[in-house]
Amino acid sequence: MTNTIQILSVEKTGREASLQEEYKNKSIKIIDGYLFSKKLDNRKFKQISRILSNQVSQKILTKDNVVKVLSNYSNFNWVVEINFLPGVTDNLGSTAKEIISDNLKNSFKKFHLGSTKIILIKGNKKNIYNISKKEANPLIQTIKIYPFKKYIDFFKKNKFELQEVKLINKKYIKREVDLNISDHELNMIGKLGIEEKNKSRRGTLGLDIESLKTIRNYFNKIKRKPSDVEIETLAQTWSEHCKHKIFSAKIDNIKEGIFKKYIRGATENIIKLRKDNFCVSLFTDNAGGIEFNKDWIVCHKVETHNTPSALDPFGGAITGIVGVNRDCLGFGKGAKPIANTYAYYLAFPNKDYQLFRQKNKKDPMLPASYIANGIISGVRVGGNCSGIPTPQGNIYFDDRFAGKPLVFCGTVGLIPKKIKGKLSHKKKANSGDFILMVGGKVGKDGIHGATFSSEELDPNSPVTAVQIGDPITQKKLSDVIITELRDKDLYTSITDNGAGGLSSSIGEMAKESGGFVVDLEKVPLKYPGLYPWEIWISESQERMTLAVKPKNLKKVIKIFNKRGVDATLIGKFTKEKKAIVKYNNIEVLNLNMDFLHEGYPKLNLKTSLPKINILRKKQIKNVNLINKLHKLLLSPNIVSKEFIATQYDHEVQGTSIIKPLQGKGRVFGNSTAIKPLFDNEKTIALSQAAFPQYAETNPYQMAACSIDTAFKNLIVSGANLKKIAILDNFCWCSSDDPERLYQLKEAARGCYDYSVAYQTPFISGKDSMFNDFKGYNKKGHPIKISIPPTLLISSIGIVDKISYLTKITPEVGDLIFIIGKTKNQLQNSEYEKIFGFKKTNLPNVEAKESIKLYKNFEKANKLKLFNSALGVDLGGVGITLIKMGIASNNGLEIDLSSLSISSIEQFLFSETQSRIVVSIKKNNVIKFKKLFGNSNIFKIGTCNDSNLITFRNKNKIYCEKIINFEKSYKQKIKGL
Amino acid sequence: MKVLVLSGYGINCETETLHAFEVVGFKGKIVHINDLIDNPKQLNDYQVFALPGGFSYGDDTGSGNAMAKKIMNNLYDALLNFESKDKLIIGICNGCQILVNLGIVPGININNPEIAMLENSNGVYQCRWINVKVSNDYSPWLNKINTLHLPVAHQEGKFLIPSNIFKIIQDKKLIGLQYINIKNQLASKKFPDNPNGSHNDIAAITNKTGKVIAMMPHPERALYYYHEPEWQNNKNRKFADGFKIFNNAKKYFK
Repeated sequence: MTNTIQILSVEKTGREASLQEEYKNKSIKIIDGYLFSKKLDNRKFKQISRILSNQVSQKILTKDNVVKVLSNYSNFNWVVEINFLPGVTDNLGSTAKEIISDNLKNSFKKFHLGSTKIILIKGNKKNIYNISKKEANPLIQTIKIYPFKKYIDFFKKNKFELQEVKLINKKYIKREVDLNISDHELNMIGKLGIEEKNKSRRGTLGLDIESLKTIRNYFNKIKRKPSDVEIETLAQTWSEHCKHKIFSAKIDNIKEGIFKKYIRGATENIIKLRKDNFCVSLFTDNAGGIEFNKDWIVCHKVETHNTPSALDPFGGAITGIVGVNRDCLGFGKGAKPIANTYAYYLAFPNKDYQLFRQKNKKDPMLPASYIANGIISGVRVGGNCSGIPTPQGNIYFDDRFAGKPLVFCGTVGLIPKKIKGKLSHKKKANSGDFILMVGGKVGKDGIHGATFSSEELDPNSPVTAVQIGDPITQKKLSDVIITELRDKDLYTSITDNGAGGLSSSIGEMAKESGGFVVDLEKVPLKYPGLYPWEIWISESQERMTLAVKPKNLKKVIKIFNKRGVDATLIGKFTKEKKAIVKYNNIEVLNLNMDFLHEGYPKLNLKTSLPKINILRKKQIKNVNLINKLHKLLLSPNIVSKEFIATQYDHEVQGTSIIKPLQGKGRVFGNSTAIKPLFDNEKTIALSQAAFPQYAETNPYQMAACSIDTAFKNLIVSGANLKKIAILDNFCWCSSDDPERLYQLKEAARGCYDYSVAYQTPFISGKDSMFNDFKGYNKKGHPIKISIPPTLLISSIGIVDKISYLTKITPEVGDLIFIIGKTKNQLQNSEYEKIFGFKKTNLPNVEAKESIKLYKNFEKANKLKLFNSALGVDLGGVGITLIKMGIASNNGLEIDLSSLSISSIEQFLFSETQSRIVVSIKKNNVIKFKKLFGNSNIFKIGTCNDSNLITFRNKNKIYCEKIINFEKSYKQKIKGL
Repeated sequence: MKVLVLSGYGINCETETLHAFEVVGFKGKIVHINDLIDNPKQLNDYQVFALPGGFSYGDDTGSGNAMAKKIMNNLYDALLNFESKDKLIIGICNGCQILVNLGIVPGININNPEIAMLENSNGVYQCRWINVKVSNDYSPWLNKINTLHLPVAHQEGKFLIPSNIFKIIQDKKLIGLQYINIKNQLASKKFPDNPNGSHNDIAAITNKTGKVIAMMPHPERALYYYHEPEWQNNKNRKFADGFKIFNNAKKYFK
């Protein structure tokens, strides 16, 4: 009898190989184990071992063979055993349970199991400790380190133990909360949560005192005390995450708030001017939608998942990506996710920042490399397992992301314009429709996630705020919705269960009908013992909410169940404007819908002009130009991101047409494209840009540069200038500080001006306002690290014909031109960060000039005048040229002599916006010059069949082999 | 000519796989595994059974293992029956891993998996284009093909073959495809030509008749000319290399 099955791979696995390499230790072996809640007799042990293992490549460890089998590998002396904490999503464990149950049916029932990872090592204890730090996260896992002898002993005496969720019986269904208390007490509730009987606090509500007083007045008026469920619900619904209070607040003299004035205002202005059907669905739905062609709509949404990714990078990132997938599934009647995008803003993974959340060096932040690698893998597993290509993304590094990484995850979706004759982007839950919860079950995961993202990351950050996505459960759910349900028109409305869980999804949908009544006891749970308030706000993943007409209910549930997906009737939409939640017929929540959604106190914000401190790097002189180019290529912000592109499946769905790695030399491109329909030429081009490096100096220009670059990259890829839409994701810091608010207002103003100037509408957006870390440094001193305000602009555009798609590889004999003037704009450039630069400025986008160039580019491209084109990005023209050289493996002879430039560095490394390097066949040059009117285009060289890139300026010549540049460009980033 | 394409539980390449068959002239249907379990006899209506790529059960307990156990437990006889007739089976990527775990390939002694799929040698998921050569001239799937340029995308693509089994595989010529370098020589396990460290550079294996093929590369993602990474330098053809695999299936029945 035993309660564990432990499996080892006979050959060295990839994971073992990488661990062995990383720690320069050949004596590391990983064992995949399972722990059962009940004992297995010999027969069951054999049966289940066979189900869970591969007889050819793996061996099962038993009491009798363990010593002998393991002695074949090494003389191990230490063991690290890693188990999930009770209640944490264990995908491997659930799959194991499912296949055991399918195979053994009734002969083995009523059991729980958990997966366990056991690492055997020969080495010293410090080594073991380091490995455990890299391989496990104490927030979601238990890590036991013990001597190998003890491990053998555990086997012999059968002492392995499964930790199960143990919840005490519910002591109450609801609790009344007295809000007629002192301001101090109210503050405690807002900051630390409702107090339990034992004086412990539930965790932050993220409600400020004004909000709590508003709630108090509401309940005093109706002469009763609020229930805990009501307060928790209001905290979710009024959270910054759900209501975007800062963006809708009156700010200085802008009464309508910056969202209405600058973001939606820009789009409204654009729609007024254009007379087409390009904008289909804006700001109101889970994602924004534009017209793809006469029969289809594409939608796009980008979300952030910053705080969860700081705490559990893998879980945070995988939840981020599968979560935003659901935003597409919840767009209109349900769009099929057809592409993922990503952008990570991280601390340098090779640095040891040593930050602690608590005094006396307690509760350390995870190491920067752990965070970076966890985030990269989380999106990999989420995207790849969901069968959604992930072509488009980037990473940027800066020390100021050490306290909080920024993780942007986006998804593009596709949906027919009409479903059974009805417009697919319109949906409405009607009074009398049933509320159906579909997908995963509910546990304690992610409780207080929505309120939490409104708060700074401080020592009281609740650990339950972490969830781990389960892409396969979601894939099953998504398959049913997209392939079996949607086109039969069997539901009237659909939305995603994300932040705030049921409280938020049902609360939002009920606006369509009036109100709702929910019976919480019907909600299927992962484990018993959850309180009603927990069920109502839990953020357990992979769930969506449907509104279903009573006559279709049985049919819908049957279809879900046939595919192994739970679908549960939990309530009804009503026309009365009341939000009502019951548990076993006891009313735990009864609020006016108006109060629920609009009752929160509106903020009145003031801004103040910040003092700008520009720290200038001292100039480093006497470095050869070629060495400078190498140094820049090696910068983590410029170096190739091939290692991510090859981990993220960008070919699935058979739609990849412009891939992330471009040309023979596999250069990481700044835009990608997919062709989503097999029988239609139209292609979707994707790009994105952010310039946090400009935020502190000029937030207005930061926005301008982001919009310009994201827009330009699509123009360069071949997109139709009139069919480009953009999305805004504001990640800010300390948004209660008037100076930060000033920067926010400026950035939003920039958004308006440049969106209108380029006539590219905002279709969707999101904000995350408190990306600050408050804790202690390695000396134990208090420290606050705020991210630089970061505005990510994602762009999505339609390319009308395959032949319009450009490439980045010049051909032998081509002439090389730069489109766009190069100015002395190296401030905060990659070059200045490394080498310094005397007198220089920040880029300043001149929209009128730029749009003229883009229009001409579009025309020229349609006439097929370009053999190649690449937008100038970080590192300036110098780096852009080298990328084109590497991509094509053709030589470039660059001669700047005729341009009368002031210095070669200034010309090659300036990061002036709105510039494009193009290569043109000789016989097209006249047409090209005619089209551009000869101004703003500059001939700089030719493409040849040598293996060299040469830069000439008057009598100076600099020359390097492409292969050497390529070596620098493809250097591995340390720590990744 | 009809193809049944399997779906469900995390399989995710069914749409493009069916499309590839349709382009060469097949009619076909995507069938969820639960529906196939409910009515295995429907397989009789089809000439080709395709197990597409994806992440069945999220690769948990080893890629292809959980789905293979489900098939073994619920559909095995129907599958063996299908195989015994003059019909074709293809497993692509995750489908390949499932066929290997079922022991359908190499299928020397039926009922037992004889080879295994391991995690890539470098431990990292690989999505990239590779070159393979055809090493088995009698499989209908590979007929008259010399080399192919195709994408792979997998975490566990390394064939592990015990030496006694490898001898038989070599004798009976069951190796379908092998990774090669740009000089058209075997990749000799060198990354990235061999993206996963596979035994003897193996990328695909067939059963004894060649009618069942289990291949790690994705021919359905290399269907049209514009799927090729450098299609802009070579627009003179309509289809990319993957087309040939599906077209061979058509030729077999015509």
